[in-house]
Amino acid sequence: MTIQDAPLQHNHPDSVPPALEKTVVKSWKAPIAFGIFSIIAILLFVVFGREGVSGFRLSTDSDFVQIPTIEAPTRATGIVLTVLLVALAAYSAFLVSRNRPVRLWITVVFALLFLVAFLTWAAAGATIPVPGLLVGAVGLSVPLVFGALGGVISERVGVVNVAIEGQLLAGAFVSAVVASVTGQAVLGLISAMAAGVLVSFVLAAFSIKYFVDQVIVGVVLNVLVTGLTSFLYSQVLTKNTDLLNNSATIRLPRLPIPGLSEIPILGPVLFRQTIIVYILYVAVAVVFFALFKTRWGLRLRAVGEHPQAADTVGINVARTRFWNVSLAGAIAGLGGAYFTMGSVGSFNKEMTAGAGFIALAAVIFGRWDPIRATLAALLFGFASNLQSVLSIIGSPVPSEFMLMLPYLVTIFAVAGVVGRVRGPAASGKAYIKS
Amino acid sequence: MSTSSVLRSVVVVAASALVLAGCAPAPETSETASDYCARMVTNSGGLEDRSFNQSSWEGLEKAKADLSIDAEVIVSTNETDLAPNVTQAVDSGCQFVLTVGYELADATTAAAKANPDVHFAIVDEQVDGENIKPIVFDTAQAAYLAGYLAAGTSATGKVATFGGGNQPPVTLFMDGFVDGVAKYNAVHGTAVQALGWNKDAQDGVFTGDFEDINKGKVTTQAFIDQGADVILPVAGQVGEGAAAAALENPNVSIVWVDNDGYETLPATYKSIILTSVLKNTGDAVVQIVGDDLDGSFDNTPFVGTLENGGVALAPYHDKAAAVTPELQAELDGLKADIVSGALEVTSPSTP
Repeated sequence: MTIQDAPLQHNHPDSVPPALEKTVVKSWKAPIAFGIFSIIAILLFVVFGREGVSGFRLSTDSDFVQIPTIEAPTRATGIVLTVLLVALAAYSAFLVSRNRPVRLWITVVFALLFLVAFLTWAAAGATIPVPGLLVGAVGLSVPLVFGALGGVISERVGVVNVAIEGQLLAGAFVSAVVASVTGQAVLGLISAMAAGVLVSFVLAAFSIKYFVDQVIVGVVLNVLVTGLTSFLYSQVLTKNTDLLNNSATIRLPRLPIPGLSEIPILGPVLFRQTIIVYILYVAVAVVFFALFKTRWGLRLRAVGEHPQAADTVGINVARTRFWNVSLAGAIAGLGGAYFTMGSVGSFNKEMTAGAGFIALAAVIFGRWDPIRATLAALLFGFASNLQSVLSIIGSPVPSEFMLMLPYLVTIFAVAGVVGRVRGPAASGKAYIKS
Repeated sequence: MSTSSVLRSVVVVAASALVLAGCAPAPETSETASDYCARMVTNSGGLEDRSFNQSSWEGLEKAKADLSIDAEVIVSTNETDLAPNVTQAVDSGCQFVLTVGYELADATTAAAKANPDVHFAIVDEQVDGENIKPIVFDTAQAAYLAGYLAAGTSATGKVATFGGGNQPPVTLFMDGFVDGVAKYNAVHGTAVQALGWNKDAQDGVFTGDFEDINKGKVTTQAFIDQGADVILPVAGQVGEGAAAAALENPNVSIVWVDNDGYETLPATYKSIILTSVLKNTGDAVVQIVGDDLDGSFDNTPFVGTLENGGVALAPYHDKAAAVTPELQAELDGLKADIVSGALEVTSPSTP
């Protein structure tokens, strides 16, 4: 969600400066976007404003520290926030007209103000449980983040990973069966990773050794895993549910972290989760650090950007690709375990429901960067849960339109905010050593 | 990309498919006295959907055993299979073809037009045709009782329902449910709220598909955050997510749909199933196949109601203690009124 790097994309110097002087670039993108959203705000929150009181509940019943519910008059709050939004839009226009850049913080503040104004408008006469909204958002995001991390690693090393969906589904299936049969959560998690690796092996073997088009292999793998798991589910799992798909042994307990879990709002959202979510926090940090600060990461990126150069300095391109694609599969497979062990407790057909493809979008939206991809996945999860919460409190927007919300947000974010993106140069191209 | 590489990947998939097909049990064929045979085509939900595909096939299997006829099922795995599978069923030369679900409506209509001598029946969809018998269920009647029961057992004064998609077979349950809650309020002067469905606007909360169980769990948690303690998910396997959320919260129970969730869901959930809104598809199938054997097949729709036992409320099992004798007496009275026609449960989706 950033508007920056504009100078790189729009190099239109408005005057020809003398040599060695700084080139000043005008980008009206931000003020125009702010202006459009300000007009929406004026129409929605002021002209067609709703009467009533909007409540925001900030604590859960089990919190140690109880914060009282905030109650704000809907229309008045909407007007105040709209004025602030218009002021920010005007300020950004002023900045651009004076040839000064619109800083990132202005965009962030604008987005947050708009979100609060929208929630206030939507919650007229009802109460939004803020921790519940965020807990649900994290719950929907976890598999997306795992999938996106797998996607980032795989694409950074030069192999397009369309098979994330298949890796998630394989992880979900195998972890459920192994955890159910052995009763060992650790074995379930390890087997989920192994399942993801197996899917990756096929992807890696075909795309690296046999130079088959990576997208085609990925698509075919998704269909294969969907068919395989659905077949095994209906022919094997349903015949002996107590042994093979027993939710009592599969589901992981929530492990609240003492102390941290009592922080208002953040505690219930981040620190009352299952072990899979805590592994996720570590995984995001480790992948980010390793990718950009270690020799492993440097080699990985070199192979994905310019395999010939990497080969010239003695890096084994095929081997590097093979093992890192496998690693990506392991991470995505672990995300699959969230569906069964972390959330529902039993496997069902096609239960990943397209999460792998959203994760793939998050990779691109996050510009092949683990942190940004994580944020993109969280944004999708948030928009998705916002849709549920708003339809429950009775928003005036039709449900079919509300169901488009997460996808709309993603499209706007990718097209409007991210702009032109450049992936790893050699991603999707087989490296044929001559 | 070269053609050979595409071929290579296709061959691998085809090979795996063959290996898998080898694992399937051989089609069951039985020698029967008559040469009457029936074929069933599932929708993309597959056979073990714990829903109408499964119950329809159970009915057909029962008919196969009781009436000693030949019966086989053709399972569709995605929407492109539907029409070819119906054609395959017709080409088998059987006299009776049963299709399941609204997805198959078009294919069934087309096949019925082309084959006027074959008798068709379609579960859960109203289709016009000389030789098609629709098998539909007025689930609103049983859901009405479920809504009344939910309102009567709710401690928080809030109950909820959500669907997989805004389609008549789904919203029929939701209409009946909120009407049942309203009836309870009218009788008892209470103000129990039914979240998730607005009957007047015919709009409410939907998860958007019938697969994403994790979404079902998160949506249900959002209902529970709003204070709901009895929840009716009408979303196929997504409802299992609702059960998972109910299990993580104290004093929340679930009303299952289509079949008795106490029997069909994993054992973990037995303690939270209040009741189920039953759709006895199997019995209807047995009856219709029997009629066809006798030569009394017609195209008037079979409508399952409380009266003919096509729809019903399941036993309360572990939750029996939550239902007071007074509440049960009221429910029995309502059921009698609906059967006698003194009380009419209406819905825009009523078949």
